[in-house]
Amino acid sequence: MQAEFKSSINDFLEQLPNHARLYQKPAACLAVFRLLPILARQYVMSMLFNPMPVALSDFDLWIKLSSKVYQSESFNKLVRMHIFQFDGQYITLNSEFRKQFITALTGGGNHNSFGVPCTDEDKHLVTVDFLDAYAKETWETILHFMVGTPEAKFPGEGVLSLLKRGGLMSGPKNQLRITRAGFQFLLQDINAQIWTLLLDYLKLSEDTHMDPVQVLHFLFMLGSLDLGRAYSVDFLTDTQQIMLEDLREYGLVYQRKITSKRFYPTRLATGLTTDYRSLHGKQSENDDDKGFIIVETNYRLYAYTSSPLQIAIIGLFANLRARFSNLVVGVITRDSIRRALMNGIAAEQIITYLTTHAHPQMRSNVPLLPPTLVDQIYLWELEKNRLRATPGILFRDFLTDSGFDQAVEYAKELGVLVWDSSLKRMFFITTTGAQPMIAYLKRRAVK
Amino acid sequence: MSLKRKNNAREGTPDEDLEEYSDYSDVDNYGEEDDDSYKPAPRIRINNNKTKAQTTTNSNEARQSGISAMFGQNDFSNLLGLKLDHTARPLWINPIDGRIILEAFSPLAEQAIDFLVTISEPVSRPAFIHEYRITAYSLYAAVSVGLKTEDIIAVLDRLSKTPIPPSIVDFIRACTVSYGKVKLVLKKNRYFIESGDASVLRLLLRDPVIGPLRIDYSTQSSKQKSSKPSNEDNVEDKKDITNDSSKETAEKSSSDELFSAVVGLQEEEDDEDAVHLFEIKHSSVETIKKRCAEIDYPLLEEYDFRNDNINPDLPIDLKPSTQIRPYQEKSLSKMFGNGRARSGIIVLPCGAGKTLVGITAACTIKKSVIVLCTSSVSVMQWRQQFLQWSNIKPDHIAVFTADHKERFHSEAGVVVSTYSMVANTRNRSYDSQKMMDFLTGREWGFILLDEVHVVPAAMFRRVVTTIAAHTKLGLTATLVREDDKIDDLNFLIGPKMYEANWMDLAQKGHIAKVQCAEVWCAMTTEFYNEYLRENSRKRMLLYIMNPKKFQACQFLIDYHEKRGDKIIVFSDNVYALRAYAIKLGKYFIYGGTPQQERMRILENFQYNELVNTIFLSKVGDTSIDLPEATCLIQISSHYGSRRQEAQRLGRILRAKRRNDEGFNAFFYSLVSKDTQEMYYSSKRQAFLIDQGYAFKVITNLKGMENLPNLAYASKAERLELLQEVLLQNEEAADLDDGEDTSFGSRSLSRAPAKAKRSSGSLSTLAGADNMAYVEYNKSANKQLKKDSKEHHALFRKHLYTKRR
Repeated sequence: MQAEFKSSINDFLEQLPNHARLYQKPAACLAVFRLLPILARQYVMSMLFNPMPVALSDFDLWIKLSSKVYQSESFNKLVRMHIFQFDGQYITLNSEFRKQFITALTGGGNHNSFGVPCTDEDKHLVTVDFLDAYAKETWETILHFMVGTPEAKFPGEGVLSLLKRGGLMSGPKNQLRITRAGFQFLLQDINAQIWTLLLDYLKLSEDTHMDPVQVLHFLFMLGSLDLGRAYSVDFLTDTQQIMLEDLREYGLVYQRKITSKRFYPTRLATGLTTDYRSLHGKQSENDDDKGFIIVETNYRLYAYTSSPLQIAIIGLFANLRARFSNLVVGVITRDSIRRALMNGIAAEQIITYLTTHAHPQMRSNVPLLPPTLVDQIYLWELEKNRLRATPGILFRDFLTDSGFDQAVEYAKELGVLVWDSSLKRMFFITTTGAQPMIAYLKRRAVK
Repeated sequence: MSLKRKNNAREGTPDEDLEEYSDYSDVDNYGEEDDDSYKPAPRIRINNNKTKAQTTTNSNEARQSGISAMFGQNDFSNLLGLKLDHTARPLWINPIDGRIILEAFSPLAEQAIDFLVTISEPVSRPAFIHEYRITAYSLYAAVSVGLKTEDIIAVLDRLSKTPIPPSIVDFIRACTVSYGKVKLVLKKNRYFIESGDASVLRLLLRDPVIGPLRIDYSTQSSKQKSSKPSNEDNVEDKKDITNDSSKETAEKSSSDELFSAVVGLQEEEDDEDAVHLFEIKHSSVETIKKRCAEIDYPLLEEYDFRNDNINPDLPIDLKPSTQIRPYQEKSLSKMFGNGRARSGIIVLPCGAGKTLVGITAACTIKKSVIVLCTSSVSVMQWRQQFLQWSNIKPDHIAVFTADHKERFHSEAGVVVSTYSMVANTRNRSYDSQKMMDFLTGREWGFILLDEVHVVPAAMFRRVVTTIAAHTKLGLTATLVREDDKIDDLNFLIGPKMYEANWMDLAQKGHIAKVQCAEVWCAMTTEFYNEYLRENSRKRMLLYIMNPKKFQACQFLIDYHEKRGDKIIVFSDNVYALRAYAIKLGKYFIYGGTPQQERMRILENFQYNELVNTIFLSKVGDTSIDLPEATCLIQISSHYGSRRQEAQRLGRILRAKRRNDEGFNAFFYSLVSKDTQEMYYSSKRQAFLIDQGYAFKVITNLKGMENLPNLAYASKAERLELLQEVLLQNEEAADLDDGEDTSFGSRSLSRAPAKAKRSSGSLSTLAGADNMAYVEYNKSANKQLKKDSKEHHALFRKHLYTKRR
C-alpha cells in the first residue's frame, strides 16, 4: 500500500512543469526526499554538502556491477524529479533544492514552511484523543456516504464533487452511487485512501486555477507537523487558506470555527508521509488484521464485528438480517448480489473481500470459501452479462442476391461484419466500417 | 408473540382460536424469503451550527441509527450486552423470534448441540454456525423428555454470550409451566384424561370444546349394569361411587359437587397419590388433543408397559447379532427415558436405520404392534425386517394389504399394513371388514407410523384415532411439508423427540457422502420458442422434454455406468418417464406398473450386473428399498417440494458400497435453463442446503458432444420430438399419482384412448418425414417379461445346454 501511493504521488510530481518553485520550501524538500527510493536518498545525502559537480564515472565506483540496474533507476528518478542535473558527463545537485534542504535539516531560516505554532494558550482544550475521534468521525462520514448508509450525513460540496471527479461515485447529484473503483477504494487501508483522494484533489485544483505547487507545499507541511499542537493561520497563503477549509471536510485539520485563527493537524495529516496504517492504536490495528467473516454453504454470512462501516460494506452485497453486540447475520442472495453488480461492484471484488476478511476458523478450509458460493456469485455475474451491445449500422433492401453477397464479402474483408442473413438480405456492421461500406456501395451503384 | 396467542386462545371462540393458530404457523422463515431489494433510506442533509465536539457526537449517533435502520427491529446490539467471558460461550439468542445462533467450533459446541436439539428445532446446521429456533412445540418436547423449566433457563444462560432476553425467559416459563400435567391414558380399550391436579381437570371440563366431549360416568355405569344385571362387581362399583358422591356433597360447593359427580376417584396400584380422570370417546381423541394443545395443556402420553398386566406380552427380542448405532440408541433413549414409553417422532435421514429403531422399540415394549406404511411394497419390507433383526416367529406377523388379509392367531403379534387400508371409509370387502374389526377391537401396545409426514393429510389422520394404541412412534426423514399441516403432528402423534444431523452421520460413515450437483441444460431454440407461447401445463412438458436435458441424462448414465454405479432416474411426469426410458432402452416403474413386473425389475436391478439403470416415478420416493443405488438423476419433480428432494436424496444414502475416501454417492438435478424449473429447483433444495449439503452448479458437461449414439443430436430429430410433444394433450403434463395398483386405481385413472387427428400427405404416409410403421423402440419391460416365461421341462433342458 505504501509503495502504491508513493508511486502515484511520484508520478504526479514528475509531471509538474516547474520544480523550481516547489523546492523553494524546506518542508517540501524534506517530504520529497522521504518519498525517494533508498538508494536515491543515499546519493542526495552524499551530494548535499558538495557543491562541485561529480563525474558520472565516479558513481560507478560506489556499487557492484550487478547492482547497476538499481543505480540507473535511482538516477532516472532523480533526474526526472529535477533534483539531479545531468549534462552528459557531470552530475550537479539542484542548487535551490540543496539550499532549502540544508535549511530544513539544520533548522535555519525564517521560511515558516514547517508551520508557525501558536504561542498563546487555547481557551478551549483540544486533546489528542479528541482529534483522533474527530478525524475518525469526519473521515468515516465520507466512507458511509459512499456505502450508502441510510441516514448518513452528507459530506460537503467539495467532497461530493471530488468523489465524482475521481470516479469513485457516479450519477446525478442527489443520487450518487458507488462505482467499481469506489468499492475498490473502500477495500484499501486508510492511508492509501487519503492519498487517492488528495491526488484527485491535486488534479481538481488545476481545474479551479489553484496553484498546484502551493497545494503541494501545504500538504507536505501538514505531513511534518506535530499532532496535538496548534498552528497559526496567519502565515498561510491565500491558496492554502482555501485549502484549509477543504481539508477540514476530510478530517485532516481541525478548526473550532471558520473564523478561528488557529488550526490543529489530525493524525490523518501527520501520517501523510509516514507508514501509519490506521486511525486506531496498536490494539485496533491487531483487531483489524484478523478476519471476522464466516460464510456457509447455505449462503448465510456471519460477521464478528461491531464496526458500522464494515456492516455497511457487507450490506452492499448481502441482505442483513440481525445484529447482536459482536455479530451480524446476513444472507447472500441472487437479489443482493445483483444489487451490488448493478452498482458496478464486480464479483471478483466481493470474493476478494470475503477471502481477505475470512474468520480464522474458515482459513483451515481448502478452498477458503465454499466453492458453491463462489461459483454462484460468478454465475450471477455472468447472468447479468449475457447481452453485449454493439453499435453499428444495418444494411437491407438489396435488389439482387449477387449484390448482397458481394457486399457481405467486402464487409468480411474489412473485418467489420457482425451478423448477416442471406434469407432476409440484411447484414449488420460495426460503426467503424460505415464510411468504407457506403463508399463501396456508391461505387457499385455508379456501375 | 406466543403469549399473545395464548391469551387470545383462552378468551376467544373456537373460530378465532383456529385463526390465531393459523397465523402462528406462518412464522417468518427468512431463509426462504423472496426479499425485495434493499434500498437505502433517503439521505437527509443535517445543518448543524453546534461546536465540532457536539457535531462529532451527533454524527456518531446518526451513523449508529443509520446502521440500525438497515436491520429494523432486528438490531440487538444495544439491547443485549456481552458477558465478560463471552468468547468462551457459544451462542446468541434473538429475543424476537427465539432464534439461536451457535458457534459449532466452540469447545462447548458438542454439549450445546445436544441441549439445543432437545429444547429447540434445528433450522440449519452447516459446518461452522448452526441455527436453531425455540418454539412452543420444541419446549413441549423438552418437557416430555423430562427437562424442568428452571433447568432449561439455567443451561441456556450458561451457554449464552449475552444475558438471556426477558422475552425468552417469559416464553419458556409460559410454555413449560403447564406442560406435562395432563395425560391421555388408554385402559381396556377406553380413553381417559388423567391428572394428579384436580384443578386442571376442572379447567378442562369447563372448556367449551372439551366439556361436551366427556362421557358421563353414571350413564355409562347404568349401561353396563343393564347389559350384565347379575354381575355383583358392577353393583359394588356403583355403590362405592354413590357413597363417595353423597359424602362429598355435604362438604363442597355446587361446582365441586358437579365435578365429583363426573369424575370418579381411583387409586392407582403403584402410585400413592390420588389420580383424577374422566372418560372420552375414541372419536373425540383428536379434537381434544388439539384443543388441549391450543390452551397450552398438551396431553402427555406415556405407557408404563412393564407394569401392564392386562395386555398380553409379545415374545420378541433383538437377535444377538443385531447391532444398534450410537445415534439410534440416543434416539431410543429419548423415547424410553424414564422407563416408560413416550409418544413422539424420531427424524433420521434415509439409510440411517429408521426401521431398526422401530423394531428395537417394539422389542422393548413387548406388546402387540401395528405398523403402518405408505405402500404394499413397504409392508413386505417391514415384515422382512422384523424377521431379520428380531427373533419373532413368522406366524406372529400378519400382513394386511389388498392381496393379504390374515391375522395372527397368538395372544399378541405384529400387524403390518398401509395407511390407505386402515383409513379407507368406503365399503369394504368381507375379509377386509373382518380384519378391520380385528384391528379396532383390541388394545395395541405400540403403533409404528412409517413416513409419518403423510399423516396430517386429511385422508390419513383418522388412522391415529381409529387404532387404540398406548404408544405412537412416527418415523420420517423429512419433517417438512409445503402446507402448514406439519405442526398438527404435535398433537396427532406427539413431539419430535430426536432429529439427527445429516452431515454428522455422513462424517461418521453411517450414511453416504453425497456429491450434489445441479446441471443447467440450455433450452434448444425450437423448444424455447414453443415454451414462450404455450400455457403453463404444456410448458412443463416442454422443459422436461428438452433435448439438451435428455442428452445430459444420457451422458451421465453412460458415465456412471462405466464407473460401476447403479443409477436411478426420477421423473414425476409419466410421459417423460416412458419417453426417456424407451429411448434409452432402460426399465421403468411408475404407478401403473403391475406389482409382479415391478418386483421383477427391482430384483434384476439388485442382482443383475447388466441392469444398472432404472427409471422411477413418484412411487420411488419412499416406497422402494434400493440399497445398491449410488447415483440418482432427477429430470422431473413435484414443483417446489422440499420433502421430495430430501426423500430422493435419501434413496442413495445407504452407504453399503465403497467406503473409500471422498464421495461415494452422486445426486444430479437436471434443470432447463431460463425456465420456471430453475425457480422450483432452488426452492426444493432449501431443506438440504440447511442440512449442510452444497449443490454445485454444472453449466457444461465435458465430452457430452462426443458421446456415441447421442440422442437428438440433429435438428431433424429435435423437430420430430417437438412435434410429438406438442401433439400431447395437457393430461400428459400430469404427474404420476403414485397410487399402488393394489387398490385398483390403475383402471380408474386410465383414461380411454383418444384418437388424434393430424395433418399429413401421401409422401408422409409412404414413410417420408421420418414417419415409421414399425416400432423400433420397444419397451425394455416387455423384453424382460418375455425372458422370464416358464419353459417346459423338455425345452428348458435344451435351453440350458445351448447356453452352456
